[in-house]
Amino acid sequence: MQSLSSTTLDAIRLLFSGDPELWSIIVISFSTTLKAILIATPIAFVVGCLLGMLRFPGRWALISLFNSLLSVPTVVVGLLLYILLSRSGPFGDLRLLFTDTAMVIGQIVLAFPVLVAMSLASFKAADRSAWETARTLGAPTWRAFITLMFELRYGLAAASIAAYGRIISEVGCSMMIGGNILNHTRNIPTAIALETSKGEFSQGIALGLVLLLMALGLNIAITLLQRRSEVPS
Amino acid sequence: MISNNTHREGPMNAYVSAPLLGVQQLKKSYGNQRLLTIDSLELHAGEATLLTGRNGAGKSTLLKILAGLEKSDSGSLRYRGVTLTRRQHRNIGGKVIYLHQQPFLFDGSVEKNIGYGLSQLNRDQRSERVRQALQWSGLTHLAERNAKTLSGGEKQRVALARAWVMEPELLLMDEPTTNMDTESRQQTLFLIRRLINEGKSIMLSSHEFKGDHKLFQRQLHIEAGQLHEQRFEQPISLSLNPASTHCARKPSHDQRSQL
Repeated sequence: MQSLSSTTLDAIRLLFSGDPELWSIIVISFSTTLKAILIATPIAFVVGCLLGMLRFPGRWALISLFNSLLSVPTVVVGLLLYILLSRSGPFGDLRLLFTDTAMVIGQIVLAFPVLVAMSLASFKAADRSAWETARTLGAPTWRAFITLMFELRYGLAAASIAAYGRIISEVGCSMMIGGNILNHTRNIPTAIALETSKGEFSQGIALGLVLLLMALGLNIAITLLQRRSEVPS
Repeated sequence: MISNNTHREGPMNAYVSAPLLGVQQLKKSYGNQRLLTIDSLELHAGEATLLTGRNGAGKSTLLKILAGLEKSDSGSLRYRGVTLTRRQHRNIGGKVIYLHQQPFLFDGSVEKNIGYGLSQLNRDQRSERVRQALQWSGLTHLAERNAKTLSGGEKQRVALARAWVMEPELLLMDEPTTNMDTESRQQTLFLIRRLINEGKSIMLSSHEFKGDHKLFQRQLHIEAGQLHEQRFEQPISLSLNPASTHCARKPSHDQRSQL
């Protein structure tokens, strides 16, 4: 085994040389997670808003459900979806198993509770008079909702970023229902797992660096957003 | 308590048209506690009503129910003689506008706030109306300022301009001058007086109203969840009417001097 420093240098060289295999993995990773977030976010925010602002029987049960879904291991989500999507499963006819669509579905399932729980916190803390003001000035419900989301935009953006961080780095679900097929469903985490098991550390480290940089960037973004939302009004 | 309308049908009756807003048998509870029991309440076009009562008496709740922002447990509501469904009542915004004690201004400029309710107008019409509203409220110099950075008094005036620009039929103001310094209070009262002089129907709640009584034709006092009426224009009319003497409670002299 080469020394860690020379492997890391190899990794950086690999990244900047534009290695097509490496970059295809990075592109797949980002495109599936982006799709999942774009699909999950609007629905999750509506659910978060309803749970945060309405009082109805079963509200607390639903809130606890989403909170407990936060800590469900990704492999368990993968297992469930595998059963549902496999050829003999109820959705087997859709032939989705081992496709990028299956990965997007898995990531939506994983991102949804994070988005709901974090947006719920924002909506709960929101000034009720924001909603009332929009409504009393004649805004229909949908416009009042958009106005409210705009007022809460920093907190909601932080929710999206946190959810994105959860799904881009998870390996269990993507591995089980994506299948780690090169140029189709091999994303950064599954590739790292594979390359490491093959002893190809430089590619693993290169991909790890991409993830680390992204995690750093996302955390800085969340911190900045939280600071902006704390500015006294 | 306005338990019946008989005094309206008497010779002193000044209102013959259908009321702007009429409420019958309104009830509202929080948990097991009954907050409001209002048999009948009518608000007429061009009428300025002062709503008094101690803190927690249900003034805000009543105003919010009238504005369609909060649900009542029971009761029916008529608007210009037409009974509204719950859905219609919820969408009464723009015609009946509720103003919060602490106004919420949207993130953005004062101009943007004032133009918020004018989405049906095109850009030019909207900026013209906003300009008029800024002039009306004397806030032209603040047009570009971010609304979140204004003082409490300025925020209240922006909220009044934002409501005025919609040409509402009824304004429900929740303690608009509470916790204000004298100058802001004077400026806010100036705008409220202006609204009344323009013939807008308003209902203004206060637990410590020290403004001039001549502003209002009518005072409603909430006590123990029930409304008690006093008309300033014809203070003796209530006592002349035997049907209402037992149910209409005039504020005592001590109380009036506090108002």
